[in-house]
Amino acid sequence: MTTALITHILNPLTYIVPVLLAVAFLTLLERKVLGYMQLRKGPNIVGPYGLLQPIADGVKLFIKEPIRPSTASPFLFLFTPILALTLALMLWAPLPIPYPLTDLNLGMLFILALSSLAVYAILGSGWASNSKYALIGALRAVAQTISYEVSLGLILLSVILFTGGFTLQTFNITQEGVWLLVPAWPLAAMWYISTLAETNRAPFDLTEGESELVSGFNVEYAGGPFALFFLAEYANILLMNTLSTILFIGASHIPMLPELMAANLMTKAAFLSVVFLWVRASYPRFRYDQLMHLVWKNFLPLTLALVLWHLALPIALMGLPPQT
Amino acid sequence: MAASKVKQDMPPPGGYGPVDYKRNLPKRGLSGYSMFAIGAGVLCFGYWRLFKWNRERRRLQIEELEARIALLPLLQAELDRRQLRMLRENLEEEAVVMKDVPGWKVGEKVFHTDRWVTPISEELFNLRPREELLHKRFGFLWYV
Amino acid sequence: MPGLWRSRVFDKVAIETFDEDLECVEEFIRIFFNNVSTGDRTMPGSVEVPTLNELNVEEVSVSSAVLKAAAHHYGSQCDKANKEFMLCRWEEKDPRKCLNEGKKVNECALNFFRQIKGSCAESFTEYWTCLDYSNLAELRQCRKQQHAFDSCVLDKLGWERPNLGDLSKVTKVDTDRPMPENPYHSRPRPEPNPVMEAQLQPAKHGSRLFFWSW
Repeated sequence: MTTALITHILNPLTYIVPVLLAVAFLTLLERKVLGYMQLRKGPNIVGPYGLLQPIADGVKLFIKEPIRPSTASPFLFLFTPILALTLALMLWAPLPIPYPLTDLNLGMLFILALSSLAVYAILGSGWASNSKYALIGALRAVAQTISYEVSLGLILLSVILFTGGFTLQTFNITQEGVWLLVPAWPLAAMWYISTLAETNRAPFDLTEGESELVSGFNVEYAGGPFALFFLAEYANILLMNTLSTILFIGASHIPMLPELMAANLMTKAAFLSVVFLWVRASYPRFRYDQLMHLVWKNFLPLTLALVLWHLALPIALMGLPPQT
Repeated sequence: MAASKVKQDMPPPGGYGPVDYKRNLPKRGLSGYSMFAIGAGVLCFGYWRLFKWNRERRRLQIEELEARIALLPLLQAELDRRQLRMLRENLEEEAVVMKDVPGWKVGEKVFHTDRWVTPISEELFNLRPREELLHKRFGFLWYV
Repeated sequence: MPGLWRSRVFDKVAIETFDEDLECVEEFIRIFFNNVSTGDRTMPGSVEVPTLNELNVEEVSVSSAVLKAAAHHYGSQCDKANKEFMLCRWEEKDPRKCLNEGKKVNECALNFFRQIKGSCAESFTEYWTCLDYSNLAELRQCRKQQHAFDSCVLDKLGWERPNLGDLSKVTKVDTDRPMPENPYHSRPRPEPNPVMEAQLQPAKHGSRLFFWSW
């Protein structure tokens, strides 16, 4: 009984609570960083330096009346935000820290599979809202997400060729020699841009183009359900950056000092997240056809070619990793 | 046709001077060629380090596998004995449990063969608490 | 084997084979659903399991890190017994016939660990605690302790650590145990069909499996 309580309630909570806290403060960080980049201060009223702003936001969102449009599909309308947040939180389970929640051998595949499920949350919510804006926003978001997933998958494939397995832990071992950023920097660049698009961030945030779509697939949402979408989106952003850290900039694990591992990993992930914000502050939005051409006409051929190259080169130079 | 009093506005003789419309960016940073060379150089360095480490990893893996090869006979011998012991205990238990059933043959063969059939865990743990079977099955997963 | 079409033709032979089929199915059901047998049909014999006394051997009760730490030296020191046991196990396909070899394996292992305990207990303990520190128990994380242990063992017991690849070599084992006959207990092969006496001729109208046989 106690064991079950610990493994099934307490252990997941030790993941979920920090992730949600991180997400909350990521929103504050975003507003602060964007503020200072535009020579203004950002939130600074609620608490010292606006530190309590996320809490105020959360309280506001959850005590607001959730709108349920009378023409909306009642079940799906409420189910999809829950699905979105659940998926976003489940993705964190196999992260390669010294004592992970689930020690999966095929953690990479798990993450790929679950992150491709996330489009159903978007699609379902857009359709269930029964609104033109929401539906078009959802279709755009889904098309963009699954397009960029293709290049993400191919990049993963060539990185896995260097590493020798889908296990996330082996990435740590591989990168003890050198960060994979160095032998695969073109891939890393494409990966980073693809994660920007995958999480619907600026400059690829066409789904929430204000003028034509009001705010994308979640126009009809307010209060609690909207908060769930919001949390899911930012949890995904953080997760993608953590994943980039694992894949390319070596979340090194010192076996004799395992306590530092999580700190190391998340510091690098936080750095990448700040670069996400920097990109948002710097670049104008893409046009939709440019967005699609970027992935299908540039990234896809390049990554395909690089998969071949990264398959051929280690074989030719006897640099294949151990295969088990 | 008399000459018009109006004087038409014309360019100065010899035309206007050149208009400065060209984009005028200062040339800074490295040239394209050198950036390309640096990029390729970084790649080559990376490949070299990575492949060197991967070869080393293969050696380490051989070492780990050899540790298992060395231990296999011991583990196998102990596993065989453990299984046989459990089978024996099951037989004795069966004799006690089924003593009232007429025509019951203790330890009857289940398969139509003289070969040794490796018992499945259900058979071994049949007469034991369910906890033990679960532990045998999933215990390894719980401890990761 | 009678096909479907034959069980439909109700001559005597077919019904008999059909009955046999049914019995086969019954047996199958008994095996799988562990039914208490309904008829007097019994499976041949019973499983022979050695008594607990024969199985009583002192086991090596140490944890995985200890085993792994000692693995390479163990592999080279107990080579003879290990290979003998594995060969027996491979040839006989039956754990009941390799109990003696298995006993020798355990004897050798216990002796091995006693020797370590007698001579190099301290450095060995340090080595395996180091391995035990991380989940994977990687050998490469503990080279320093391994070196200390290796040199201690070399000094006091004269054991040398096997080189990389030595333990995975294919080896020939010199053994007195006779080669087992028919380890799979295969049934004898059926008699070959008698040679056809009659004069065989091609079918008059060509193959009937084919539509246009002209």
